[in-house]
Amino acid sequence: MATSKDIMEALADYKEQCNNNKRLRRMQRDWSKLLHFIASDTGDKFTMEVKNGEIIRNEAGARGVPDVIVTATSEDMCDMFWGDLNPAQKYLDGKILVKATPEDVQRIDAITMIIWPEG
Amino acid sequence: MTELKKVLKLRTVVSASAGLAMATSVYLAGLQIALIVVGELAWISILVAGALCLLSAMCFSELVSLYPTAAGIKLYIQHAFNEKAAIAIGMFYVIAGASIVGAESYLLSSVMIETVGIHVSLLADRFFWMAIFIVLVAYINYRGVSITGWVQDFMTYIMFAFLLFVSIYTLATHDVDLGPALHSPDFTLGKVLTAAGLGIFLFVGFEWVTPLAEETEDYRMVGKGMILAVLLLAITYSLFVVAMYVGLTDAQRHSGTTIPHILFGRNLFGPIGGVIFIFMSLLASLTSFNSGVLNFSRFGYAMARANILPRVFSKLHPDYATPWVMILGLTIFSIGLCAFTLFTGQYMFIITMAAALECFIYVVISLCLIRLRKKFPDQERSYRVPFGKLIPVVNIVVFSGLMLGIFADTTRDAMGKVLFKNYWVAVAMAGFALVMTAYALVIVPRLQQAAQQRASTRKRRRPGQS
Repeated sequence: MATSKDIMEALADYKEQCNNNKRLRRMQRDWSKLLHFIASDTGDKFTMEVKNGEIIRNEAGARGVPDVIVTATSEDMCDMFWGDLNPAQKYLDGKILVKATPEDVQRIDAITMIIWPEG
Repeated sequence: MTELKKVLKLRTVVSASAGLAMATSVYLAGLQIALIVVGELAWISILVAGALCLLSAMCFSELVSLYPTAAGIKLYIQHAFNEKAAIAIGMFYVIAGASIVGAESYLLSSVMIETVGIHVSLLADRFFWMAIFIVLVAYINYRGVSITGWVQDFMTYIMFAFLLFVSIYTLATHDVDLGPALHSPDFTLGKVLTAAGLGIFLFVGFEWVTPLAEETEDYRMVGKGMILAVLLLAITYSLFVVAMYVGLTDAQRHSGTTIPHILFGRNLFGPIGGVIFIFMSLLASLTSFNSGVLNFSRFGYAMARANILPRVFSKLHPDYATPWVMILGLTIFSIGLCAFTLFTGQYMFIITMAAALECFIYVVISLCLIRLRKKFPDQERSYRVPFGKLIPVVNIVVFSGLMLGIFADTTRDAMGKVLFKNYWVAVAMAGFALVMTAYALVIVPRLQQAAQQRASTRKRRRPGQS
């Protein structure tokens, strides 16, 4: 089970990977969303704010009204942010739940695919 | 529970579900149903088909409440049986279902030729119109332009309102004598059920709305939306098919026309009636094509990302973030299907196959429901089909029967000439199912092995994990 601190560290790395990836920034340039991540086993919640493809804030707790809600176990969430897990696989297996439009679901998966293409 | 900024309303779930089922090909299928039974009593077969689809909608509703995800049907089968079965059946259902585009584009080309005439030759003009709509919809999807819920609602409800208005107007201004129809030798239980089998085609696609569960606050809304959509479709089609039948002349009914709705519109309101129906056809076909390309390209992308399809299909456009390889693949597949339909002229083969495919998937879904209740009796379900196993069992028996009935029948044209024996539909479906099974058993393990090899060469990034 990953702690809230583990997930915040993973999110910090994820933010750096995303914001430093020019290809991703270009592709997501018109994508501005508020995302909530919920760890199903610990109940921890996290908020990520994306503006024009740039992650501008990560914080513990659920803030604001989200466009996207992702629910996964704390371990899967941590692995996903470190790029050690293929979210599409888990999503198709029903282990990661996403509440969002189909376009947003695809955009979230695209982030992982672009920053860790070998996954 | 946290709420989403934008959530779908029930009216949008209903319009999406019903909108997927409403296409140009339903007019021709409706006339076929009317010609199988006595036209004035076609509503009985349509209501029977609608009632049966309603039972399936209830089964889908319970499964959506159990797995509220876009992975939908793959997940139900995977949890009920196993992953290989889920891949084989899921791909069989999706790809065979996509073949409807062949019939739909053929009929739409008839509408366009009727509208603008022939410029080069019938064959060339047909192919041009068939291809141009597919390319147009593919381009819209390639650019990532999406139809908003409000536009979807507006278009679908306008179509419903129009069909209901035309039906009620026709039935009020034409004589519909049920007496002779009830005593006709064509009004038999066998014919009513045969027509009901084809009637399933009128509802094809209502269940493709299950991925919308991710955009709703309450998963039960998807189930409710599907049930309302089926009810709305059943009532509208029942009225419209009878109205169209009585609104056509006997010669028109038996002329083998592919555009009965346009002839009906002209009979009713003159040239303007024809123009309105042409517009409705375009609207219905384009929204159906668009939903098809959107859903299939996203489904294909997710399958490629999960190493079930080759990785190339997961490529995204660098500017529009759309799965352009998948869209391109779908476009080529669709144009190939158009060419096949064009050269064989067997659009009824595809319509018959689609009806049988729906029956097949309803049987599969009912089996999944029974098995998942046994495997996970305590898993939370916000909706449960009432009366225990009765409804899924009835579904299995009835839809298996309908499917076998379709295969045992013979498809004829309006003049009664045999087009094909329907067992060829069964042969084509069985052949394709075999190919999909071989793909799931042979190709998918190789794709997954290659993915594992790639992953094993990569060091885990998470600190403290080897």
